Amino acid sequence: MSHFTTPARAVGNALSKAPLRQSSRLMSTCLNASSAARPAARCVSRAQLHQQLAQRRTFKTVEEAKSRYRSGPFTWKAGILFVVTAAGLLYYFEHEKERMRHKRIADSQKGVGAPKVGGAFELVNHDGQTFTDKDLKGRYSLVYFGFTHCPDICPEELDKMARMFDLVQAERPGALTPVFVTCDPARDGPKELKEYLAEFHPAFVGLTGTYEQIKAMCKAYRVYFSTPAKVQPGQDYLVDHSIYFYLMDPEGDFVEALGRQHSPDQAAKVILAHMKEWKGLPQAA
Amino acid sequence: MGLLSWFSGESEADKRATEIRTGTVAPSRAERQRCWDARDAYFSCLDANGIFDALKEDKKAAKACGTQSREFEKDCATQWVTYFKKWRVQEIQKKARLKELEAQGAIKMDVNTDFASRK
Repeated sequence: MSHFTTPARAVGNALSKAPLRQSSRLMSTCLNASSAARPAARCVSRAQLHQQLAQRRTFKTVEEAKSRYRSGPFTWKAGILFVVTAAGLLYYFEHEKERMRHKRIADSQKGVGAPKVGGAFELVNHDGQTFTDKDLKGRYSLVYFGFTHCPDICPEELDKMARMFDLVQAERPGALTPVFVTCDPARDGPKELKEYLAEFHPAFVGLTGTYEQIKAMCKAYRVYFSTPAKVQPGQDYLVDHSIYFYLMDPEGDFVEALGRQHSPDQAAKVILAHMKEWKGLPQAA
Repeated sequence: MGLLSWFSGESEADKRATEIRTGTVAPSRAERQRCWDARDAYFSCLDANGIFDALKEDKKAAKACGTQSREFEKDCATQWVTYFKKWRVQEIQKKARLKELEAQGAIKMDVNTDFASRK
């Protein structure tokens, strides 16, 4: 330890003899030579630094210099302006962040290379009338694929869809069209769909078509489609299909897929959150 | 059986039941519920008798749960009966696997496949 103390003391001695101009540089030297055994050296350098600062700034009185030194450039006006600006910016950025988040989710499906879900189609609704993608434009739509002979999943999911539709409808009447597309056109005609869907929700739109039309529709929505093309009359079969709800925006672009893990409440919240960004409101429900 | 009842004069209800069994018509909500109830009764009988696969152990199942099986097959489409039996096997395997994983100290997590974060 002794051989450390000696050089430190030497620095201190040198410091006390050094000219004023070099004091600031010397002070850093003094601090770098870390040792508890030289408070004298530190004291000297501080005093010199203070002296130098006082020389550079010219104040009329010592009091003036002292008060200026204490408060710095701070005034009450500047403080209030700072706080108000900060609060304003914070609010703006939070708001923008939330808006961009929703926009990003919606846009992620539109960009180049992103999967294009949905598109033009021509089918028949449960009243036997032609129904195309144009009939879905102007409001959000919730599209679900299934078949009336479905043993357990579709009926459960359709009950869920009815609940989430009612929840959305309560907040934004007429903003959402619930659509059920059959994957089993051979057995699900308009009449069968009408009977089937009436037990879930009167607002549900049932869509069917020819085998080719339904196959094209499933392909457009990236729905796994396994319906046999040629079925013997009276032959029973089940259909494998994807079990997502597809949320489509008023332009017919895919927004988000809602799965079985969403409760109706969660799903309705997600749908309503997307609708918040939507400016257009339908005139009538 | 179908031929016999046809000769004996089939009632509307029987006709409807036959149509559901063969898959000619889709069951209504009430008919679906009846089928599910019959299925649950049949499955609890299988559980009680320690039968794992009702399709492979059909003889054992028929002996132990004959009554429930007849109800199940009466109230559900034939395709559904097969589907539900297969589904039960998978469900048991799934539950066993989950239990095994939990015993190994796996942590259950909810997976969201969508892009939005939940709040």
